[in-house]
Amino acid sequence: MKTNRLTLLIKGELLRLHKYNVVFISIFIALIWGVVLFFVDSVIFNALLPFLILVDATMMSLMYIGSVMFFEKKESTLSSVLVTPVTNQEIILSKILANTIHNLFSTSLIIIVFIFIKDVKINYILMLLAIILVTAVFTGLGLLLSYFQKDFTTMLTNLMLLMFAFLLPSALYGFGVLKADVWEYILLLNPIQAAQEIIMGGFRAVTLDWKYYFSLGYLIVGGILTYKFLIVPKFNAYAVSISGV
Amino acid sequence: MFKVENLKFKYANNNEDVIRGINFEIKEGEIFGFLGPSGAGKSTTQKIIIKILEDYRGNIFYQGKNLKDYTNEFYEDIGVSFEMPIHFSKMTAMENINFFLKLYKNNADVESLMKRVGLWEHKDELVGTYSKGMKIRLNLVRALLNNPKMLFLDEPTNGLDPTNAMILKDMIREFRAAGGTVFITSHIMADIDQLCDRVAFIVNGEIKEIDSPRNLKIRYGKSVVMVEYQENGETVKKEFLKQEIGKNKEFLEILTTKEIETIHSGETTLEDIFIKVTGVKLADEN
Repeated sequence: MKTNRLTLLIKGELLRLHKYNVVFISIFIALIWGVVLFFVDSVIFNALLPFLILVDATMMSLMYIGSVMFFEKKESTLSSVLVTPVTNQEIILSKILANTIHNLFSTSLIIIVFIFIKDVKINYILMLLAIILVTAVFTGLGLLLSYFQKDFTTMLTNLMLLMFAFLLPSALYGFGVLKADVWEYILLLNPIQAAQEIIMGGFRAVTLDWKYYFSLGYLIVGGILTYKFLIVPKFNAYAVSISGV
Repeated sequence: MFKVENLKFKYANNNEDVIRGINFEIKEGEIFGFLGPSGAGKSTTQKIIIKILEDYRGNIFYQGKNLKDYTNEFYEDIGVSFEMPIHFSKMTAMENINFFLKLYKNNADVESLMKRVGLWEHKDELVGTYSKGMKIRLNLVRALLNNPKMLFLDEPTNGLDPTNAMILKDMIREFRAAGGTVFITSHIMADIDQLCDRVAFIVNGEIKEIDSPRNLKIRYGKSVVMVEYQENGETVKKEFLKQEIGKNKEFLEILTTKEIETIHSGETTLEDIFIKVTGVKLADEN
């Protein structure tokens, strides 16, 4: 894999995120959240900020990569890239890395605003690690999901169902409906729950426990395995199916 | 340059092969045409030899080496122009070009290419605002960005007005004159007839004939003289073989005794030959 070519592809992806207004939308959403959080009291704020960071790094990552993939599908532009010397892995990595950089920027915007206007105590290194890791993993999942969706609307619908399925057990546990201790372990296999654990680790008030380290390892290993055994192998079939030659 | 031996291919969701054991060779420096109706297997064959489809049976050799042994560096050698305009519509022509240009080791002179296709003045406009003709001309520029040894063109003039079609055909000839090799798939007979050194007729995944358009006309065609004349108040049309027409008594009698309305010679077209060889009409299939 040539670093120079990968860099060019990432720059191209970032330029297109800007040209297709995805960057504008993400900044706009970040600002809306900023305004909402500014007016809430400190109890709600403390609960809402981690939740927003989680939503931005998970759901929004899926949506942004989904939109990028569907713009490309609509214009068949992937066909042109397929007949250049770049490899499929370079194409996939460039999308994951560009989306991660973009999402890091929009999430950082939310955090930076609140560092100045609210008293937020953040461990910058752990928060950076959390956002990068969670965004990269969920961008990969979004990429995989987009291979099998007919159009953007179908993808959005399926995304909502998927998020509901992922969030429901955590919510039921949180509300005490699921009471057994075993759920504490089972829920960590839920990637959103694991993402939440490591995002919470970025707040100074939170003590890092085994759940944090498990979630960190789970997302890293799970992300690599998903990339190697699903995202890359399925990409070729997807690329051929949408190639308008 | 390319040698294809007993090529067969089946899509995963199909029961039958769509390419059924075809053999052909593309010689260096020639324009080789693939002519056939929609669904004949033209685009599938192109997808295979540009390494987009890989699960084929048979052998393909490029420059004497098995195509399967090439990495993506193969794409440094070739340029591909798709039938449909494929560009990032919310970026300018130059933003599109610059993105692709940097992916290659070998770079063509973009300014002269853009000027040659008449797009230099529009280089900073969004491609989404381009007409179809402009987008297709930009397709060809994109295919030529890496100074390729070989060009693959899928229906290069489809949907173009005569002026734009002429520009494209001239550029294809110039590319060949500079030593390049071209593979064209088309259902437009005139393109194949005017451009190709050799042509393959493909129907239902099988090649029915391969030769130069000239040889095909000699082999399958006939030169005739058509005469329309008045007889008993009606127009009568007769056709005579051009060969030794000066000795044809009936023809000479018509000329001397009848009131001639029209007289002209005619050659068998490539389309007539295609129908004769394959039994399929190109237009009906599209």
